[in-house]
Amino acid sequence: MSVEVPYGKVALYPGCALDGMAKPYEVSLALVAKDLGLTYERLDDYNCCGALEVKNVNTMAGLLLPARNLALARKIGADAIMSACPGCHYSLSRAQYYLSKYPKLREKVNAYLEKMGEIKYDLQLMTIHVNEFLYNSVGIEVIKSKVKRPLTGLKVAPYYGCLYNRPKPYTLTGYLRLKDDPERPVFMDKLLEALGAEVVPFEAKTMCCGGPHVYSDPDVSINLEARILKEARRNGAEILVVDCPLGGVAIESNMNKIAERYGEDLRMPVVYFTQLMAFAFGHSPEEAMLTANLTNPMSVLKRYL
Amino acid sequence: MPIPELEKSIIKGVIQKDKVVIDGIELDGTWNSFMIERTQTGYDPSVWDEIANTLEGVTISACWQCGTCTSGCTMREYDPKYGPRRFIDLARKGDKQGLIELQNSIWRCVSCQKCTHRCPKGVLVEEVVHAIHNYLLRHGLVSKDPGTVFDELFFETVMNNGGRISELMLGAASVKKGMAKMGLKDLITMTGPLLRSGLFKELMKPSKVKNWEKIREVIEEAMKEEVRPE
Repeated sequence: MSVEVPYGKVALYPGCALDGMAKPYEVSLALVAKDLGLTYERLDDYNCCGALEVKNVNTMAGLLLPARNLALARKIGADAIMSACPGCHYSLSRAQYYLSKYPKLREKVNAYLEKMGEIKYDLQLMTIHVNEFLYNSVGIEVIKSKVKRPLTGLKVAPYYGCLYNRPKPYTLTGYLRLKDDPERPVFMDKLLEALGAEVVPFEAKTMCCGGPHVYSDPDVSINLEARILKEARRNGAEILVVDCPLGGVAIESNMNKIAERYGEDLRMPVVYFTQLMAFAFGHSPEEAMLTANLTNPMSVLKRYL
Repeated sequence: MPIPELEKSIIKGVIQKDKVVIDGIELDGTWNSFMIERTQTGYDPSVWDEIANTLEGVTISACWQCGTCTSGCTMREYDPKYGPRRFIDLARKGDKQGLIELQNSIWRCVSCQKCTHRCPKGVLVEEVVHAIHNYLLRHGLVSKDPGTVFDELFFETVMNNGGRISELMLGAASVKKGMAKMGLKDLITMTGPLLRSGLFKELMKPSKVKNWEKIREVIEEAMKEEVRPE
């Protein structure tokens, strides 16, 4: 069974995160997509997108890294390139913006791509995020119909991170109907509600976690992360649901420091939204890799087993 | 603080005189010494031009100085000296000294993109701030900050490890550089679930891009190219 999606052929850009600590994200995404009849092709020979760092070191390197991935997606005839990590989504969209806007630059980049042995990039991709893909492709009613393990009463705080819908010149949020609200995103909220979960009011949805400076300005990052958790806790959330591996990993790995500095009550399990979807669709915690998270999501999810 | 650009020519005309008589009273001595320095070295109009000629900095000229960027800035809550509007203002005036005085702030952008997202004039503020910071670094006006050290470390790790990166590798490299500290407790929390799920092995040895050595050569060649917004 395959479902017609509004994006045409979709290529999944895994990015280093999905081959790293966010592996549970990709594994659970595959389960969910299969259950919903959605298909995508994985770009196996991808390279790092450059994230938020490489662009600051060298302009050309900061464009060539993402551009090569865009070319790879066109090589397999994709119409859209999908990232699970908002950082990758940002970086690919940024390259798309610059290459569309400056023709001479595009020529140069294409010449280097050919030198690498890749095809020229023809600008024909739409850059999308997993969140948008799942929300726009099948509709909420279909998702509701797949739920075998309703998460009734689970209080969740959906954390989208900065780069899922920002900045709009790159991500096109607010310009297209397939894109989320530019300031107050809701796609993940709707997906989680479809699972039966209760989405708490959460104003830190797109608040920064200090990601790029997690090592170079650690006190600021830890404080920012604590604020996200405080906001979730104050609104009664039991679990932080993320669509961003940058934020997810940063918050998870700093959890001890956050608890030490800002209070033990901030300790909260962190889970990828696709893991929750897979779990609600009836997959076991092991299948959804809920045991691989650094914080223990099963501590609150075990009551649904 | 240096005087506004428009008044510069007026004051220059006055301070070049050895002797000034105002209302019949002659001013002498070192009356103009404090002004000479500020008026003659305070500005460098080439700063704006140079930044506007970079790919990241080209939108600097569209700024209206409305302050939407600064009012929503994540970093400003931590550092009251941090203000994208002000960085842009100083860069356009060519006030290098003013920018140098802010060197402990300007690198701290966390790239949350709120400024670029909300700018009513289409200035890519986050990019422009990095272009200004890069200008200061390129001309040796400021010393290398922790953010830049990390950016370079990140890039180096990507280039040296087959075009990909893993959180553990990056973490280890940062600990080695003295940027991050990892206690025993953190180590146990980190490695426990990773060992249980078998992720640990993959993280220590991330897969590589097939043709990476060739791609790497091309990237290194491309890095020498000057990029202009055209």
